[in-house]
Amino acid sequence: MKWITARRRHPLAGYAVVILALALFGVGYAALAPTSDQAQAQTLAAEAPSPDDVDIAEGKTVFDQTCASCHGLDGSGSDTGPDLREVGSAAIDFQVSTGRMPSVNPDVQMPRRDMVMSEQDLDHLIAYYNAEIRDGESGADVPYGIPGSAPQPEDFEPNRADYDSEEAFDEAEEEAHTEYEAALAEYEAAYDEYIEGADDTEMGMQLYLTNCAHCHGWSGGGGALTDGRWAPEIHEATPREIYEAMVTGPGAMPMFNDMVITSDEKQELISYVKTLQAEPNAGGIFDLERVGQVAEGFISWTIGLALIVACAIWITAKQRAHD
Amino acid sequence: MSKTTQAPKALRGVGNFIDDRFHLAKTGEKNLRKVFPNHWSFMLGEIALYSFIILLLTGVFLTLWFKPSMAEIVYDGSYERLQGVEMSEAYASTLYIDFDVRGGFLVRQIHHWAALIFVASLVVHALRVFFTGAFRKPREINWLIGVAIFAIAMIEGLFGYSLPDDLPSGMGVRILQGVMLALPVVGTYISMFLFGGEFPGDVIIARLYMLHILLLPAILLALIVAHFMILWHQKHTQYPGTGKSNRTVVGTPMWPGFAIKAGGFFFFTFAVIAGLSGFVQINPIHLFGPFTPTSITSGLQPDWYMGFMEGALRIFPNTLDFQIFGYAVPVAVLVPGLGAMGLLFGVMGVWPFLEAWITGDKRAHNVADRPRNAPVRTGLGVAAVVAYGVLWLAGSNDILSETFSINLYLTTYIFRVLFIVGPIVAFIVTKRICLGLQRRDRETLEHGYESGTIRQLSGGEFVEVHKESSQDTVDVLQSKPTITSTALVEDTDDKGVENPEARKAKGRFRRALAHWYTKDNVSVDDVEPHSGHHLHHSESESSGAH
Repeated sequence: MKWITARRRHPLAGYAVVILALALFGVGYAALAPTSDQAQAQTLAAEAPSPDDVDIAEGKTVFDQTCASCHGLDGSGSDTGPDLREVGSAAIDFQVSTGRMPSVNPDVQMPRRDMVMSEQDLDHLIAYYNAEIRDGESGADVPYGIPGSAPQPEDFEPNRADYDSEEAFDEAEEEAHTEYEAALAEYEAAYDEYIEGADDTEMGMQLYLTNCAHCHGWSGGGGALTDGRWAPEIHEATPREIYEAMVTGPGAMPMFNDMVITSDEKQELISYVKTLQAEPNAGGIFDLERVGQVAEGFISWTIGLALIVACAIWITAKQRAHD
Repeated sequence: MSKTTQAPKALRGVGNFIDDRFHLAKTGEKNLRKVFPNHWSFMLGEIALYSFIILLLTGVFLTLWFKPSMAEIVYDGSYERLQGVEMSEAYASTLYIDFDVRGGFLVRQIHHWAALIFVASLVVHALRVFFTGAFRKPREINWLIGVAIFAIAMIEGLFGYSLPDDLPSGMGVRILQGVMLALPVVGTYISMFLFGGEFPGDVIIARLYMLHILLLPAILLALIVAHFMILWHQKHTQYPGTGKSNRTVVGTPMWPGFAIKAGGFFFFTFAVIAGLSGFVQINPIHLFGPFTPTSITSGLQPDWYMGFMEGALRIFPNTLDFQIFGYAVPVAVLVPGLGAMGLLFGVMGVWPFLEAWITGDKRAHNVADRPRNAPVRTGLGVAAVVAYGVLWLAGSNDILSETFSINLYLTTYIFRVLFIVGPIVAFIVTKRICLGLQRRDRETLEHGYESGTIRQLSGGEFVEVHKESSQDTVDVLQSKPTITSTALVEDTDDKGVENPEARKAKGRFRRALAHWYTKDNVSVDDVEPHSGHHLHHSESESSGAH
């Protein structure tokens, strides 16, 4: 304590305290802050689930429990939720897989979050929707051919209770790991094939910058909209979700069906924005979140000019009168 | 050892050769011994000078490869993602600088960061000059030159931003054209002349390029030289203190003291700019992609120095637009687009003369004011900073809205209210702070400074021991000028007849302004330094009588 006491009136003591406090808050916040949504709903870039795997009765249970209170038991809507009969299964898949539905507050725009139900339940739900609620063939179908989210290892993990011995469990775990690796490789191949299958950067860029960028921003980082709404960041969205958003027009977003922008053009567009997102930052390790000029101006003042002025203070410093 | 003061023979020979012909020794010695005051705030203008030098050097480097042409080509360079994309030669050549010229990316980023810091340092330099009253006679002309440098630097920056023909630069030019079109009658003609036809045409880049690399830098350079020569001739202002007066300058001589500092400072400035350029990505044109007239994106702004104009455009209400004979007069573009800039530079240019008119002060001032000692001026300055800052923030309202999850419309209303209320509150608060500091100065002068030593008197009372301030502090505090105005002096001739000018509306207005400008002041004239009782605690502790 004596060491501190002796120096508490040092000219730099104030700055040191502020820096320490800032560091403490910064580290503390980083430790306590919730981590960004890591887990995503898992879907394989696979075919539609076969009718043997889905259980319409199970889907009805899910629907009655999680959807019916707003959308009505027959999906015809109510004061708090729209009519679902003509929206198509792509809309169901989009809203549920991005965690926007079930909504916690129907009056405000829902942000993206983790899916609240399992992948299996979503399949059941969609099967039930198609069989009982959907009005014929109206709306868009889930585009199963387009890669969704990557498989997650925890979905392959065996349950310890199912195995009698430690050895059997270890074996099953190993097997599950191999299975997961295979599924991941399969997913990545499908993803790459879809993204690299589009080779007309110009078309993708024109489509994106003409139709999407004025809300979602040139980088897909999102942007502000009128009346308290916002266009979400699309970096976390899977190609399938972007596709579904275009064909269903969720929220304030206009609908771009396959007549307006064909399926191939959508592939170019999705490929453009995903490739741009994956592009390394050639200009330096700090990309300022690709916010652009506002962030650059902020840095030029707070880091650039501040450092230079600090140097000016340093080289002209003289002993203070009191010391 | 007395010979060591002589220069080596080789140098002496050259020196004498030159001196015999140009008689430089006398001028040289005088200028090498020129005195620079020692205070960090006098170095702010130097940041601008150094970043301008960096801009010139890096700018020349960039011109070696940049092609100011809007001819459409299909890209076939080494940046793979954009291969096969149609773009202008300007954009393609910028990509070439980024990816094919060794060090090109770094130099382009240095050029951009240096530009941001150049304008930022102009602003802080101008603020220092304003708040210390260094624009007063005899330096009004240099202040005007500074305002011109500021204005041209902004335009220069805007044009440079527009050259690469990437997405944001095209959008910036589009806004520029929009503001031009808003001019009644002549707007469309000006736009047609500048763009050689419809937007975007195929000449605008070449024209902006000429302005950006030739005309505007030449004007800037000429103005900076003039700024410097006047400064050299008039010398710096200096803060009050021992031995500093309107007739004497105290500081470090140019050679060797100040030149070494300034040289080191150049390298520090360069290091910070180069450091930013090495680590922080700026204006990634390769990610933005080329501009086409159909492309538009949210979330992009002009560079920071145009932000206040962008903000004015965003928050100005559009209810005042009207039509005359079927022609639209877009007030909502015209007023903020040109008005904001006109107001900024107009007020800056007029202020020195306005203040001189209010105070009637015709004396030359070489000692700078401490900002607290001119409370109304300081208050107005802070009010202007707040108004500028509100517009500047409003220019990024979409980013603020998204980052902090505030309703976009709400930000508009907040900024509209803040633009009116903020400066008023800022003026009142600043003026009160200034007067509070004046009172504290008075107290320090009277009582000395708080030493941090607590002493218990025999009566049990605790007091903090005050100590006598240094002579320099006393001189600084005693030098406080009293702000007066000739308008407040009874102006009568020898027959007791009032000056008719003072009774006219203009004269009465001037007197009202002068009253407002001078009325609040904490005088130190009646204070004897270190006469306050606090000082005597240390000596009179035993008596305990207070």
